[in-house]
Amino acid sequence: MIDAANDAPAVRLSGVRLDRGPRTILSGIDLSVPRGSVTAVLGPSGCGKSTLLAALTGELAPAAGTVELFGRPVPQRTRELLEMRKSIGVLLQGNGLLTDLTSAENIALPLRTHTKLPREVIDRLVEMKLHAVGLRAAADLYPRELSGGMARRVALARAIALEPPLMLYDEPLTGLDPIAIGVIVNLISELNRNLGLTSIIVTHHVHETLPIVDRAIVFANGGIVFTGTPEQLQASDDPLLRQFLRGEPDGPIAFDSARRTEAA
Amino acid sequence: MATRGPRLEFAVGAFLVLALGSLLVLAIASTNGEFGFSRDSYALDARFTQVGQLRPNAPVKIGGVTIGRVEKIDLDPVKFDSIVTLAIDSRFNEIPIDTSAGILTGGLLGESYVGLQPGGDMEVLAPGEEIAFTTPAVDLIQMVGKYMFSGGGDNPPPSSGETSSAPPATPAPEEGTTP
Amino acid sequence: MAFAEAIRSVGRGGLFSLSVLRASKPTADFFAELTREIYKIGARSLPIIAVGGAFVGLSLTLLGFRALETYGAANQVSVLIGLGLYRELAPVLTALLFVGRAGSSIAAELGLMRATDQITALGLMAIDPVAKAVAPRFWAAVLTVPLLVAFFSTFAIAASWFQAVQVLGIDNGMFWQTMKDAVDFRDDFVPAFVKAAVFGGTAALVASYVGYHAEPTIEGTSVATTRAVVNASLLVLMFNFVLSAFLFR
Repeated sequence: MIDAANDAPAVRLSGVRLDRGPRTILSGIDLSVPRGSVTAVLGPSGCGKSTLLAALTGELAPAAGTVELFGRPVPQRTRELLEMRKSIGVLLQGNGLLTDLTSAENIALPLRTHTKLPREVIDRLVEMKLHAVGLRAAADLYPRELSGGMARRVALARAIALEPPLMLYDEPLTGLDPIAIGVIVNLISELNRNLGLTSIIVTHHVHETLPIVDRAIVFANGGIVFTGTPEQLQASDDPLLRQFLRGEPDGPIAFDSARRTEAA
Repeated sequence: MATRGPRLEFAVGAFLVLALGSLLVLAIASTNGEFGFSRDSYALDARFTQVGQLRPNAPVKIGGVTIGRVEKIDLDPVKFDSIVTLAIDSRFNEIPIDTSAGILTGGLLGESYVGLQPGGDMEVLAPGEEIAFTTPAVDLIQMVGKYMFSGGGDNPPPSSGETSSAPPATPAPEEGTTP
Repeated sequence: MAFAEAIRSVGRGGLFSLSVLRASKPTADFFAELTREIYKIGARSLPIIAVGGAFVGLSLTLLGFRALETYGAANQVSVLIGLGLYRELAPVLTALLFVGRAGSSIAAELGLMRATDQITALGLMAIDPVAKAVAPRFWAAVLTVPLLVAFFSTFAIAASWFQAVQVLGIDNGMFWQTMKDAVDFRDDFVPAFVKAAVFGGTAALVASYVGYHAEPTIEGTSVATTRAVVNASLLVLMFNFVLSAFLFR
């Protein structure tokens, strides 16, 4: 597990360029995420948000620059990378719950694989995680028996099972009804506070997430176009940011787009 | 889909037990049951001018009872006759030295096997020794041709270059090949 | 360049197979998954295997009887069944039925896992997805296809007996005795199950490879399923030829 006791920020990117094959998705990226904060990563479709996440989890090596987590560069070698991944909790868009296992078994999976805790202890921990997301009753249900919101919460419980210092959320609000969105947003904020995590939320849902985040970073056109607090974002008069915040169909990001290559 | 706990385990256990059971039944009911737990055997050689359809692993029989297997079939590069190595079950270690060996077929279309006809000598063959009296395999087509064209002349030559016109092995040992 | 691409595919498949073998570790988790997979691909394939076997037995017996009747050798029909089944038909037909039923489901399941981020999630949880999802399916297939061949043969021989003895009037004792005399345990019976294990492993590896590497979309999953069945069937037939040449010299 990562030694999270030093002073370095949770995440730091310096001069990072990310390529997928021949195409450069992001370049000249410098950003820093302080520990304990909730940061939203925003931007229009195709701006490279998922690519950023891939760089953080070690899936994609930077073509230039360094990506550091808690002061250490993201390893490329398999064994160290696997170790590092135990310190990152990821909530994926598709939930990724294993279909043959119940909710409780899904949550227990990282605990059983990576710790030598006895059966009873693991069962208790699973119960605690389920309780934290308000789903103790769903312990013995299979993923197909869960609603969208419930499944997402179980996946969240699984992601925090090992209490990783860093949580990454990839589009956590997609496909949920307004109440479920409210629940998840609330959970993200509470868990971050109660467990002392650092959270990074990659999302389209600007207005639902801004209330709980400490900082927002907006990506567009292959780079960062804004870093700052939510208030600063809403007060900005940059035309691109205004178009994005207001959801206007036309503006700096043209409705009638010429052959703009879609980034990941 | 019963993919949990005790029901699953029962279903899988039942499947495995039934399958292994049917395997056992099949092995016993539909095969010759020669599981071949390697019994001890010793080797004897026999030379033939013509082995015909004989294959390795073909049975070696005395009076129709299998007492061993053909282990190897080789060609002598100097004398050009075939050396057949027989693996005989060690229980039958008192085969007289004047025993004869012939290559026979089981039925009209059956597979070839080596038939031994024990002689009467008191001395027995030791492991590794060679059976002196052998009768080569019969080429059926050739035999038919011979009788149809009433003897001699235009018979198609046998593959070994020697006319093997003798009828299938008879009790009287013949000088089939020179050892 | 299609040829070079084909060679590369074969290479990728081979590397994938190696990684499956390397990832196979006998943990308690592995056995739990293995048990589940044996149920899913073995026990649930039973009906099609049983019915298939029965009909093959019936039709082969009928056909064989007619053919041998003309030579007056009708009572040898059980020899035809026994040798034909063990040497070729039981392993090959069982394997093809298996590919259709279990191979397609393996490809579909893995494709679905890919599309719903399950495979990604496992990787991010530092759990090897190949060890968790593929290896148990591989070993389940290697174990169950021989067992399915046993079932296929049982049903085929039983059906054959019914057709030959009850319907066509062949003597019961003759039926069994001629078969037993002709079918050698080591040369005919055992190779059938060796073939079966090879076919099972091949089918599982092909289906797993295709499903695991499917495009993470609905269309990708369906394409994967079709490709798995086609490729696995072809490989089974190819390996059957190779193994027959080796085993039945």
